[in-house]
Amino acid sequence: MVLLWQFFQRFLRYRATLGFGLLCIPLAQLADVAVTILIGNALERARLADSSEWMNKVILWLAVYALVQGVFRFYQRWLIVVVSRQVEVGLKQDLFDKLVRLPFAFHDRSRSGDVVSRLTSDVEAVRMVLGPGLMYTLGALVIIPISLVILFQIHATLALVMVLPMFAMGLTMKLVSPRLERYSLAVQESVADISHRAQENFAGVRVVQGYRRENQQAALFESTSRINRDNQVTLGEARGVTHAAINGSFEMTFAVILLLGGMAAIDRTMPVGAIFKFIDLTIKVFWPLIAIGWVLGMLPRAQASAQRIDELMREANPIEDPDSKSGSTATSGAATIAPIQGRITFEDVSFQYPRGNRPALAHISFDVPVGSTLGIVGPTGSGKTTILNLVGRLFDTTSGRVLLDGVPVRELPLSQVRGALGYVPQDSFLFSERYEDNIRFGAEHELTDAEIDALIELAAMTEEVARFPEGKATVVGERGVTLSGGQRQRTCIARALARAPRVLILDDCLSAVDTETERQLLHSLSAAGEGRTVLVAAHRLSSVRDADQILVLSADGRPEAIGTHRDLIAAGGWYADTWERQQRRESLGIRDSLVDEGPLVPGQETTAEAEARR
Amino acid sequence: MTAGEIDADELVASKVWDHSLFQRLLEFVHPHKRLFAACFTVLSLLFAAELLGTWIWRGVLDGPVLAAQEATDKGPYLHELYGWVGGYVALLAGMTVLRYHETALLNRTGQAVVHDLRVRVFQHIQRLDLRFFDGRPTGALVTRVTSDIENLSELFTSGVIVLVFDVIKVIVLLAYLFFLDVNLAWVTVLTVPLLIGVSLAFRGGARTAHREVRARLARLNGYLQEVLSGVRVVQVFRREERVSARFRDALDQYFQANKRTIFLFALFFPAMSLAVYIVQGAALWVGVKAITGQTLTYGQFFQYWLVLTMLVRPIRDLGERYNILQSAFASAERIFQVLDTRGRVHEAQHPRVPPRTSRPPHIRFEDVRFEYVPGTPVLKGVTFDIPPGRTVAVVGATGAGKSTLVNLLLRFYDVDAGRITLDGIDVREMALSELRGRFGLVLQEGFLFAGSVRDNLVMERAEVDDDALAEALATANAADLVERLEGGLEARVAERGATFSTGERQLLAIARALAGRPDLVVLDEATAAVDSATEARIEAATRRLLTGRSALVIAHRLSTIRDADEILVMHLGEIRERGTHDELLARGGLYARLHALQFEEAEVA
Repeated sequence: MVLLWQFFQRFLRYRATLGFGLLCIPLAQLADVAVTILIGNALERARLADSSEWMNKVILWLAVYALVQGVFRFYQRWLIVVVSRQVEVGLKQDLFDKLVRLPFAFHDRSRSGDVVSRLTSDVEAVRMVLGPGLMYTLGALVIIPISLVILFQIHATLALVMVLPMFAMGLTMKLVSPRLERYSLAVQESVADISHRAQENFAGVRVVQGYRRENQQAALFESTSRINRDNQVTLGEARGVTHAAINGSFEMTFAVILLLGGMAAIDRTMPVGAIFKFIDLTIKVFWPLIAIGWVLGMLPRAQASAQRIDELMREANPIEDPDSKSGSTATSGAATIAPIQGRITFEDVSFQYPRGNRPALAHISFDVPVGSTLGIVGPTGSGKTTILNLVGRLFDTTSGRVLLDGVPVRELPLSQVRGALGYVPQDSFLFSERYEDNIRFGAEHELTDAEIDALIELAAMTEEVARFPEGKATVVGERGVTLSGGQRQRTCIARALARAPRVLILDDCLSAVDTETERQLLHSLSAAGEGRTVLVAAHRLSSVRDADQILVLSADGRPEAIGTHRDLIAAGGWYADTWERQQRRESLGIRDSLVDEGPLVPGQETTAEAEARR
Repeated sequence: MTAGEIDADELVASKVWDHSLFQRLLEFVHPHKRLFAACFTVLSLLFAAELLGTWIWRGVLDGPVLAAQEATDKGPYLHELYGWVGGYVALLAGMTVLRYHETALLNRTGQAVVHDLRVRVFQHIQRLDLRFFDGRPTGALVTRVTSDIENLSELFTSGVIVLVFDVIKVIVLLAYLFFLDVNLAWVTVLTVPLLIGVSLAFRGGARTAHREVRARLARLNGYLQEVLSGVRVVQVFRREERVSARFRDALDQYFQANKRTIFLFALFFPAMSLAVYIVQGAALWVGVKAITGQTLTYGQFFQYWLVLTMLVRPIRDLGERYNILQSAFASAERIFQVLDTRGRVHEAQHPRVPPRTSRPPHIRFEDVRFEYVPGTPVLKGVTFDIPPGRTVAVVGATGAGKSTLVNLLLRFYDVDAGRITLDGIDVREMALSELRGRFGLVLQEGFLFAGSVRDNLVMERAEVDDDALAEALATANAADLVERLEGGLEARVAERGATFSTGERQLLAIARALAGRPDLVVLDEATAAVDSATEARIEAATRRLLTGRSALVIAHRLSTIRDADEILVMHLGEIRERGTHDELLARGGLYARLHALQFEEAEVA
């Protein structure tokens, strides 16, 4: 509850609007009640009177109350719900800002679905209760007491007794709730089962048809569907009980009014017209009562959601600027001034991922002078990407130091470290925006058209971009043009180059490019960046052949060898063997499965593609 | 779902009533006539009961209450009241029971219809040829069978039945009012359209507004998802600010769309209650005049008031029902689209069943051409023979067209040009199930099927008796695998085949193929590595499988290839080389290089 209150504080930022909105509620309810009283009195008067000129005034008052009620009901919803949406938006923004700055260790260990749900369904659950939920609750808390008070004044006993069926309803709801939950879950599960079975069958249709299993599978599906149907029926029956209970108690109240009200009317202890007021107010109170039940039902979910959101907000960020940490400003004074040259040193670096059960890297040391190129190769999982992650300080080392220009990266401002790097990731990640915007993403300052074209040229993409529907202004990704693996990789290189980095980091990003283009690219890269340090991790040894140094990693993250291409060939071992094998492959035009272009439509692979890949 | 998908789904049917679709849906309603009749009965009884209830109120107010006003002895009137109340309570008890049935029955009816529909759609999709599945993400097909169907269930529960009933209710009630009091009736009939108008007018705007919000939300969440997957790039490029700014923009758009929706709803509720007040006000005016003029009793007006409440509810729900119907018809349209799709691989008009002779069949591929996607040929004129009892192995790099040969032979697709014959008969002229049943099939994919081991091996083939099964297991070196399981043949297989290792599954697949005593074999060797002991067993079993049968093998094992009577080396849809293993090695061409690559590597690793 405390948490929910804290979230409510956000609502208080808009207290003026909220206040007005909340004020509208009782006013609207009062007007509504006033209408009932008005009509009740009019009817009573009519019963006893002979003429009806007084009706004009009554109608006039009715119109007034109706308008008042209409206006206030409009504003109540307009003000309160809009505020709740504003809070939602603010909360989402804060969460997003937080998420984007959290270190990669967090993102590595969390599932994106889980994180996204906190920003979506959890925020919604909290908003629903604190916004509309509050509105409905307040409305109910106004109309119910007012009505009861009025009715109490007319006939105390009746007012008290008619409340009893409501308790019966509340009790029934409480009893049925856990069952409803259970049955709901059962239905959810059986729906998932149906989905799963359909998925399996459609994805494996070749096997089903090949082995002539259509009938059997259809029978299985039928029984799964039948289970779902039965679960739904059970749920429906439970809902039936709820429905009957709610309406039943409502109608029981009517019966009470008929009996006691009738008795009182016969005994003349209550005017006949008062019965109308009892009935009409009962009708008006019905929905607010249901609403309270509904809000109470949502409360546990909202509390759980509030907890999850809070958890996210509290995530610590250990990789921070040394400047922002208290007490260590003294050592960082010198480092903030000089621009990065680009010398990279690893001093006996070891690293283990927070979730890993063995070290990813062990005792890695090397020195890359300014302007030289280091190739990093090794079998899958040997830690090539990890080394690159450490250079950009996406993680901190477990032991040993990473130095940039002789200064430990931990002592340099994060922005400076990252500002000097151009990073080309393994998964060739691009945003679903315009092609040129993806390249601009890399640059620190505004790029001119000419500069963008130059970058595209560097990445050997000029011809292909010219063939896009709108050239470089074409949108890429899900809603636009789909790029092949090789095209994506080259675009990422252009993006990295856009910031004219001192250090260029290439993470196995030439795998989908054929050897010719690769050679072209590497050549233009080295030509364009004099004095630029380059780190290249690669599967294909041809990518690192011309590097100044090549670091060979063993399968368990240890340094196996380091030297030039010639040195390593001469020395034999993993490098030499792999080189030979890869050369032969090339000559046959055979592509390693790691090296395929992959499906053209990202996301879901169709059966034809799965076929073709085999 | 992307925003685009949502939009498309929403836009499919803008009609709220599609008669032809409805007719087709009726076909599914037929078998459940009794349930539907029951629903209508319950709803009718409830309606009648509610109406009766209002009549009781009038009876009380105009009866004992009125009479007792002037009387001194209240006794008899109190007794009369108790009688009325007794009846009322009994009525309410009955109504409570009916309400339970209302919900439960409507739900049950909807689910019954939907179950039938779902099964039919599944069966239909399942039997379509493979080309239907190409280019359609599995997810979309699954939606047809899940959410689209669920949507339809709404049609039958809160949709059609209730809507029809609501309309009947409104008409009956209005008519009843004429019995009650003509003036009140007229006034109501004249003012109620206002209510209907508000309900319907709002509906269209609400849908558009909702759609807008959903689209913006989808975009927002899509961006969030994207940023999360590329967060490393964002951080390394120090673009946190920029990305936050983009998010803020998307949030703002979402917020604006929300405001529009809220505005509409904020307007709707007061508008409805205002319309109700107008109806009530008009009725009050007329009513009071009549009461003072002694042409209307208090009780009658009271009853009118209660009937009016009954009238307003269905009208208020009109807009919502409208939306449900529209969305349900959209789903129905998508579903019938699927049901109307016909496969391209057709059963022949007069399917031939070539007799099985003692000789294994002769298979011929004659200048076969094929492309999955128009414009990208996969087989460019392939011709070869599988002489009776001989094994032809196909090798080649990925994408060379090997598995396509299997697909065409099994008629998962039909050739674009050329033909495939079995003992001289074009496979297209054979009964499909006959053709497929002829093969001893060993596909790469392992078990899919839940059930007992026996089920998986027998596959409902009548000709596979216990002897045949035992023989097959022995020949395939798989007998001990089954024996060591608890329950032996009757043991249940885990659906993902986790009961057996990869190698063991291959052995069982061979046994399965053998059990049918085929004279024709298609073998698509699995590439997964297995331990050397199992490997030896598989080699032996394979050898026995292929002996004396006509076989097409997509080979990955050196032993299989070496033993083949002919090897076809495929490259980019053509047969580049053919011959026996020794002949091809001696030639020193493509095969020789492939051989060196694949098998020397295997030795090194």
